[in-house]
Amino acid sequence: MTERTRRSWTEADRLAALAAYDILDTAREPAFDGIARLLAQIFDAPIALVNLIDSDRGWFKAEVGTGMTGGTIETSFCAVNIREGEGDVMVVADATLDPRFADNPFVSGEPGLRFYAGRLLRTPEGIPLGALCVHDLKPRSDTLTPIQASALEVLAGQVMDQMELRRSLRAGALEILSRQAVETELAATIEALAESEQKFRVITESMPQMVWSTLPDGFHDYFNARWYEFTGMEEGATDGDGWAGMFHTDDQDRARQLWESCLATGEPYEVEYRLRHASGTYRWVLGRARPIRDASGRIIRWFGTCTDIDELKRLRDGKDLLSQELSHRIKNIFAVVSALIALSAREFPEAQPFAKAVRDRVAALARAHEFVRPHTEASRPSVGSMTLHAFLDALFRPYADDAGRSRIILQGDDAVFDDQAATSVALLFHELATNAAKYGALSLPGGRVELTTQSVGDRFVLTWDERDGPRIDGPPTRTGFGSSLATVSVEGQLGGRLERSWRPGGLLVVADLPATALSRRRAALKAV
Amino acid sequence: MTARILIIEDEAIVAMELRFVLEDLGHEVIGMASDARAAQKAVDAGDVDLALVDIHLSDGPTGIELGRHLAQDQGVTVVYMTANPGMLGEGVAGTIGVLSKPTDERAVQTAVDYALRCRSGQPTEYAPPELRLFG
Repeated sequence: MTERTRRSWTEADRLAALAAYDILDTAREPAFDGIARLLAQIFDAPIALVNLIDSDRGWFKAEVGTGMTGGTIETSFCAVNIREGEGDVMVVADATLDPRFADNPFVSGEPGLRFYAGRLLRTPEGIPLGALCVHDLKPRSDTLTPIQASALEVLAGQVMDQMELRRSLRAGALEILSRQAVETELAATIEALAESEQKFRVITESMPQMVWSTLPDGFHDYFNARWYEFTGMEEGATDGDGWAGMFHTDDQDRARQLWESCLATGEPYEVEYRLRHASGTYRWVLGRARPIRDASGRIIRWFGTCTDIDELKRLRDGKDLLSQELSHRIKNIFAVVSALIALSAREFPEAQPFAKAVRDRVAALARAHEFVRPHTEASRPSVGSMTLHAFLDALFRPYADDAGRSRIILQGDDAVFDDQAATSVALLFHELATNAAKYGALSLPGGRVELTTQSVGDRFVLTWDERDGPRIDGPPTRTGFGSSLATVSVEGQLGGRLERSWRPGGLLVVADLPATALSRRRAALKAV
Repeated sequence: MTARILIIEDEAIVAMELRFVLEDLGHEVIGMASDARAAQKAVDAGDVDLALVDIHLSDGPTGIELGRHLAQDQGVTVVYMTANPGMLGEGVAGTIGVLSKPTDERAVQTAVDYALRCRSGQPTEYAPPELRLFG
C-alpha cells in the first residue's frame, strides 16, 4: 500500500496545519541551524535544509550551503517528496537520470544538484509539513547507510519536537496574553460596577423614598438609609425575612400573599400596608417593586420602594367620608322635601293629586341620586351594579303586577351612566311610567310596556313601546307638564331627540341620544 | 288591624308626616324618638308592636344596632326606613326589611300592613315592591 493511497489529508489540511505552527518567515534559530549543520556533517554533504513547503514555495527554516531562504515550489525536491514520495524517506541518486528532476534549473544549471536524501517532517497527526534533507553535487548510491538513515530519522524527529515546542510556547504566550486581556477587562468592569454601585447608593441614599432590593427568590439584601431612618431598625436587622415583621399584623398575610405571587409570576408588585415607624406607631405606606431581568429575560433582582402615604390616605379617607356624609344629607333632604309637600297638602284636600305627582317626581330624583352618588363598600346598593338597567329595574319596581312581576319589560344593551344623566333619565321614565299607569297600557290589567335600549354606533336609542292598553284615537289635545318635563330632559339635558307616535295599539316613544350622553364625564376623560 | 307604632327618626318633619299617615290608617303612634336612648325609653315604657327605624339618628348611625336589639331581644317588629338602604348590606337578622325614603303613603301602608301580618302570623300575600325583605 502506497503512502499516497492511504493518506487521509488534503493539501488544504496540510497548509492549515503548517499555518498553525506560525513558523514561516520567522528568524533563524540556533536549534534548527544546529540540526541542519549536524545532518550535513553526518552525510558529508555540502547542502542541508529544514524545508517547509508552503502553497507556492519551499521555505528554509534552516539551511547549510545555499545562502538562500527558500525557492519556488517547481524547483523543490521536498515538494515532490511530499506529493509523490512512497514512504517517509526519498533518495535520488543522480537527478540528471530522474525525469522528475532532469529539467530542474538547479540540476541542469547552477549549482548542479545530483544527490538528494530527504525525510518528511510530519505532525503528530501524520500530516507532512516539509522535509529534512541533504543535497550533494555528485551522484551517490541510492541506498543510505544505517547511520545516515538513522540520523535522518532522529534529526527529523528533533525538528518536529522543536516545532511542537514552538507551537506550545506560542499557545502559552497567547494564553497569557488573553488572560491578561481578560483580567484587564475584568478590572475595568469591576471599576465600572463599583462606580455605578456608588452612583446607585448616592441616588438611593438621598431619595425621600425607602428603597430596597432582593435576590430573585425575594431575599432582602439591601435597604437604603431612609428605611432604617423610618423604621429605626439596626442596619441589616431586616435582611432576609426580617422585613415582614415590620408590617402591621393585619396586613402581613395580604402583603405576603401578593409578594409571593409576584415572585412566582414576575408581575409588578403594588400594595398598601401599615409599616411600623421608629416612634412605634404604624403609618400607611405604598409598596411597589419591579423585577430586573437579564438579556435572556431571567429575573436577576427585584427593586422596590416604600412611600409614606399616611397623610395622603387620611386626606383621601376624610374626603370620602365628607362626600358620603354630604350625599347622605342630600338624600335626607329629598325625604324632608317630600314630607314637607305631604304635610302642606294636608291643609288643602283639593291639592292631594298635585302633591302626589310632585312627591313621586322627587322620589324618582332621589332614586337616581342613590344610584350615582359616591359609594363606599358599605353604602353601595346591593341590587345589581350601577348600570342603566339596574337603575330602571329599581325605578319600575312599583309598577309590578299582583304576582310581583314587572309590567315594564326591559331588554337590550345595558350601559353605565353618571350623575349628570341620572336625573334626566329618572324624570323621563318616571313621567312615561306615570302616564302609562294613568292613561296608557298600564291602566288596564293586561297591558304592558316593552322598553328596549340599544347601542347603535355613536347613538344610544331607548324605545318605549306600550302594548295591550286602551285604544288610542290620536294625539292628546292637551299636553301636560309631565310631557314637557320628559321632552326637556331628553332634548335639553341629554342633547337627544324625543319622538312620540300615538299608534292605535299604544304609545311609542323613541329617545335617540348621543352614546356619550349617559356618561359624559367618562366620555370627556376618554377624549383627553 | 291597628297597632302601637314607634317612629324612630331624627328629621322632625319626616317623622311628623309619617305620624299623620299612620294615624290616618288607624294606628296608634305611641312616640317619636330621635336617638337610640329615647327609643329605648319609649319601648321600655309601653308595649310596642312595630318600630319604624331610621339608620342615621341624632346620636349617629345607631339605627342598625338599635333595630337589631329591638327585634331580637324585645319582641318588637322592626322595619327600617332610610335614605341609605345600602348601609344595611344583606340585612339584619330578626327584622322584616327596609323601605327606601322618600316614599309615599301607599308604600308605607302596604309595608306596615305586611309587617303586622308577619308579626301576627297571618298569611302574607306578596310583599310590597318598595319593601326590600331580609332573609
